[in-house]
Amino acid sequence: MSLLNVQGVTKDFGGLRANYDISFSVEEGEIVGLIGPNGAGKTTLFNCIAGYFPVTSGQIFFEGKDITLLKDFEIARLGLARTFQVYGASGDLNVLENVMVGAFLKTASRNQALELSRKIMAFMGIEAQANSLMTEIPVAAQKRVTLATALATEPKMILLDEVAAGLNPSEIEGLISLLKKINQEKKVTLLLTEHVMELVMRLSKRVVVLESGRKIAEGDPQEVIKNEQVIRAYLGESFLKRTSEQV
Amino acid sequence: MEAIKNAFDFSDFPRLDRTFAGLVALFLIGFPLFPHSSFAMATMIQFLMFSVYGMGWNTIGGYGGQVDLGKAQYVGIGAYTTAVLLIRWDIPFWFSMPLGLLLSVGWSFIIGYPLFRLKGHYFAIATIATSLVLKDIFEIWTFVGAARGLEISPIKYKPPDFYRLIFREDVYYYYIILGIFFVALFYMNWFRKSRLGFQLRSIKDNEDSARSLGIDVHWAKIKTYAVATAFVSVVGSFHACYIKNIEPEDTMSLDISVLIALMAMLGGAGSLWGPIIGAAILIPLKSYLKEWLGASAGLVGIDLIIYSTIIMLVAAFEPRGIWGIVEKIRRKRRKGL
Repeated sequence: MSLLNVQGVTKDFGGLRANYDISFSVEEGEIVGLIGPNGAGKTTLFNCIAGYFPVTSGQIFFEGKDITLLKDFEIARLGLARTFQVYGASGDLNVLENVMVGAFLKTASRNQALELSRKIMAFMGIEAQANSLMTEIPVAAQKRVTLATALATEPKMILLDEVAAGLNPSEIEGLISLLKKINQEKKVTLLLTEHVMELVMRLSKRVVVLESGRKIAEGDPQEVIKNEQVIRAYLGESFLKRTSEQV
Repeated sequence: MEAIKNAFDFSDFPRLDRTFAGLVALFLIGFPLFPHSSFAMATMIQFLMFSVYGMGWNTIGGYGGQVDLGKAQYVGIGAYTTAVLLIRWDIPFWFSMPLGLLLSVGWSFIIGYPLFRLKGHYFAIATIATSLVLKDIFEIWTFVGAARGLEISPIKYKPPDFYRLIFREDVYYYYIILGIFFVALFYMNWFRKSRLGFQLRSIKDNEDSARSLGIDVHWAKIKTYAVATAFVSVVGSFHACYIKNIEPEDTMSLDISVLIALMAMLGGAGSLWGPIIGAAILIPLKSYLKEWLGASAGLVGIDLIIYSTIIMLVAAFEPRGIWGIVEKIRRKRRKGL
């Protein structure tokens, strides 16, 4: 049984169809990349899975349970966490308090929430920033805090939306090893959408490619990037012609 | 057990704060022992009442960031429940107060459910509307005395009457409201560290990310609104016994709702001491302006001018109020070291 099973999900916004009949599944312990050019419908699909948008048709199963009609917070309680592309924090909570909000999902005890948060912050390497406000720390650290907060809910799976956006190459390097560590040590399954191909290629065992709301390919990352349709989607018709002429 | 410990544990505040708070607590306990005018005593009772109103408002308005401008309706429900039950059926305060609390909380659930579908300014306007509608109903409802209100006549009872809370000397009222004040303060000290407190702060920060962390935002707001209501209703019941003469105009008017919110915002919304600081500034100011300036110089309405000036100053310079300024300075100093 797959951990996450997306079956024929279609999402319309008025007359605009953002996702066409998309199906794929994620096995427990995997890291799967969801890639595609801008406007391909990755974030929409994420929002449908996380219960943030209701789907137009199709079904979504998490651990075999139908979560299609559940609300976003109910899905989070089942152990399917998510992070957002843009983190709009007003900066009222400090880093420790942010992580504690996540930890309070599983316990009502402040001491337990505090203990769990400290552990996770050490794991993520942000314990030095415990008392800083979100607005006072760099973007890379903010990303770690949002990841830590999601981890504090003790999820089985995290949906990461554009987690590398706005990071420099050395920060991306740190993020890659961190995500590997989360996957291996915390046994958390990851599904990530990404523009930064390098991150996806190095992390994922499997990628799903979307283009204009349709799934056009799925499989091993090294093979997928050789797929004609994928190259066309990313680099355009003319590039494909040029490369084939050269060969 | 842990909850009780958290309620009495102030150790996360700097020593300066704790010393100052301790001195203020001693002053409040000792105040009636010193010579004082009846005007000063009345002002102190008002200060304590509005501190508790403000602390209640602070749960949903401060920590939760939902600007609620309709708290006066619950002052009214509490006050009217106590007054009606006492006058009609001679039911004492200690029974009518919990009943008023239940009615208020019940009403808060009924209107909270649709109200919290609204956000921001729309929510604030809707809270004003519900409060005004309730006031209008009470103004024409003859069972509760319509616009003339109700009067609890102290002659019928033998003061000091601890069951009905009828006293001749204000000092009794002072210690009862002081007791309520301390209960409220310890509750708030627990609340700010509790799961619900954290959930609300997260909601204020960003509702989408709060939901993604498994928080039922709508329900958390309704629950907290009920907590805020409970605070206000209890003091409303006290208000009936203390003032003894209640009308819709002085229990449920918009002025009171605004004053409650304004105090908490001035002192510092979303902080433990904020509502108390706000009440300590605004209540003496209000009494002074009303009693002395308003009467002698004919400057009726000058209090409103001063309130609106304060609102503008707080909104423009430091939305987190006086306590926000204190925290900013401390943060800078800690960084500088």
